[in-house]
Amino acid sequence: MSEPFITAKHRVLRRSVRAFCIDELGPIAAEIDQEARFPWEVVEKMGPLGYFGIQAPQKLGGAGLDALSYAIIIEEVSRVSAAIGLCLSVHNSVALYPILAFGSPEQHARWVPELASGRRIGAFCLTEPNVGSDASAISATALPVEDYWLVNANKVFVTNGGIADVCLIFARTDPQAGRKGISVIVVERGIKGFVVGDLEDLCGMRANPVSSIRLYDCQVPRENLLGRSGQGLAIGLAALDTGRIGIAAQALGIAQAALDEAVRYANQRQQFGVPLARHQAIQMMIADMATDVDAARMMVYRAALLKDQGAPVSRAAAQAKLFASEAACRVTDLAVQIHGGYGYSKAYAVERYYRDARVTRIYEGTSEVHRMVIAREVLG
Amino acid sequence: MSVHMIVCIKSVVREAPQGVGRRTPENSELNPYDRPALEAALRLKDQTGGRITALSMGPPVGIEALAEARAMGVDQAVLVSDAALAGSDTLATARVLGAAIRQLAPFDLVMFGIRTSDSDTGQVGPQTATVIGLPFLGGVKAIEPETDRWKMKRQMDDWEETWQVTLPAAVTIHPRAFLPRPIPLVGIAQAHDRIDVQTWRLTDIGLKTDDVGLAGSPTRVAKLEKIKHQRTCRMLAGEPREQVEALIAELTTMGKIPS
Repeated sequence: MSEPFITAKHRVLRRSVRAFCIDELGPIAAEIDQEARFPWEVVEKMGPLGYFGIQAPQKLGGAGLDALSYAIIIEEVSRVSAAIGLCLSVHNSVALYPILAFGSPEQHARWVPELASGRRIGAFCLTEPNVGSDASAISATALPVEDYWLVNANKVFVTNGGIADVCLIFARTDPQAGRKGISVIVVERGIKGFVVGDLEDLCGMRANPVSSIRLYDCQVPRENLLGRSGQGLAIGLAALDTGRIGIAAQALGIAQAALDEAVRYANQRQQFGVPLARHQAIQMMIADMATDVDAARMMVYRAALLKDQGAPVSRAAAQAKLFASEAACRVTDLAVQIHGGYGYSKAYAVERYYRDARVTRIYEGTSEVHRMVIAREVLG
Repeated sequence: MSVHMIVCIKSVVREAPQGVGRRTPENSELNPYDRPALEAALRLKDQTGGRITALSMGPPVGIEALAEARAMGVDQAVLVSDAALAGSDTLATARVLGAAIRQLAPFDLVMFGIRTSDSDTGQVGPQTATVIGLPFLGGVKAIEPETDRWKMKRQMDDWEETWQVTLPAAVTIHPRAFLPRPIPLVGIAQAHDRIDVQTWRLTDIGLKTDDVGLAGSPTRVAKLEKIKHQRTCRMLAGEPREQVEALIAELTTMGKIPS
């Protein structure tokens, strides 16, 4: 079926990324999930190929690709290993992107080449034990003392937390100023008082080292403030707008993988003397799954394309994220159903897809928060 | 030593068409057997320096395959495309490629994939070498540049031959000998954001309409029909060891594995 939005560049990119992921991540995807192991051996190959600086400018060591290319790459990586797709999505869109968009030339020179080459990994630290969707209620602080920021923070569910070198910490620089007193401070792993907590034992995305990051009286240089003092929530929202496209693309990749496996199994498994695919009940499921995947893809690519055109993207990105994540849960659920008992077994990949899909409705804004964003835009 | 390598590539049809297929960007891709040839050229360039030209003949959709070759690291890309070329068989194709290769002279090595994934004749490489009178080696799996004659290895069944070859020469590359490198994302961005592929017409390579296309082709595909394989399933009885032995005996009898 011919596709709108796609150019020769995107086709080559898709084939090339797909081949790389099938070769390198395919053989280990199930194992790294079960062992909750981050596959450095593959990530170290992805760095020089540009996967950690997909949209960063070429003069800063990035690949200089557009948002649609970015979505396609995250989709294809997630199709094979959603946990590695997650690592790339967070690194590229909510760690590297805010530095590019809000950083000074000095900050670009300091962090972008290292991040874009994958020599250092980025993380986005907003969530706290008592703060999820209500980001303005964070309690982390970064107080101006002498010539540094004194940072205290307890950040949880940090994607890439166990391996991150460059962390965007959301903290109150002016505790009296409420929402307007929140800023982003870039904190580098290894400084005194920087503690990486235990890795979370998660349902899915297990190859990603999600952990807490705690900062105890960290003295961070003043020049590590990203953007202006008090600009934290604006930076966070801009990052999440971009991030939504990545998470939506990730959900799309998982859904496509589940559909592929379901089709393969339905054609191969015989019941009542014919392949499952000959039973109308299964045909109905496959039709719904294919339609969900197609619709999700159109929405994700449209949001990316709008971003490339410089058009407002909040609503399109929120709709894409909402729809793709919920579609991924429906599609993976049906894929398990088609596999029957085998689908509930770790011997089949759909079991992993089912677990991986679930969190896409939760992180980088829950489905409910996305509905709020969309309703606000629709109702005016 | 600075060498000029010309790699002839093809944009192939991905899925077998019903009847005569129309080429579209969606159903076309760089012939997978050409990737090892491009990889072999890139490795030689890493070793000796020099430059690589990718050359293709076909409809404009071939620009995509050439852009992909550029993304891999090829220096120059040329597409010979002309309505008069439609219906060219392998000999006519070899004439066109040969004329374009002469146009690209001086060159040292002309490289081809061993075959294409869509028409699968394996003839264009050797025919092109013949048309322009170059020494030819097929299925090359190793190339060692030397000052005088280059050393090249090829495999025939259980034998490995080592040849000394005077350049310029033409070779086809063994598909498993040069595993193509993954393409860096920045290469794709640079090759596609400004497509740099020269398009030559028939007049640019000094050929006449009668030399090519249906008029210049002594052979033509009269009919294309999909073959339906009859598949049967037979269960082997006995313990696993007996089943394996029975399977090996059966496959040996069928000539599928060596005895």
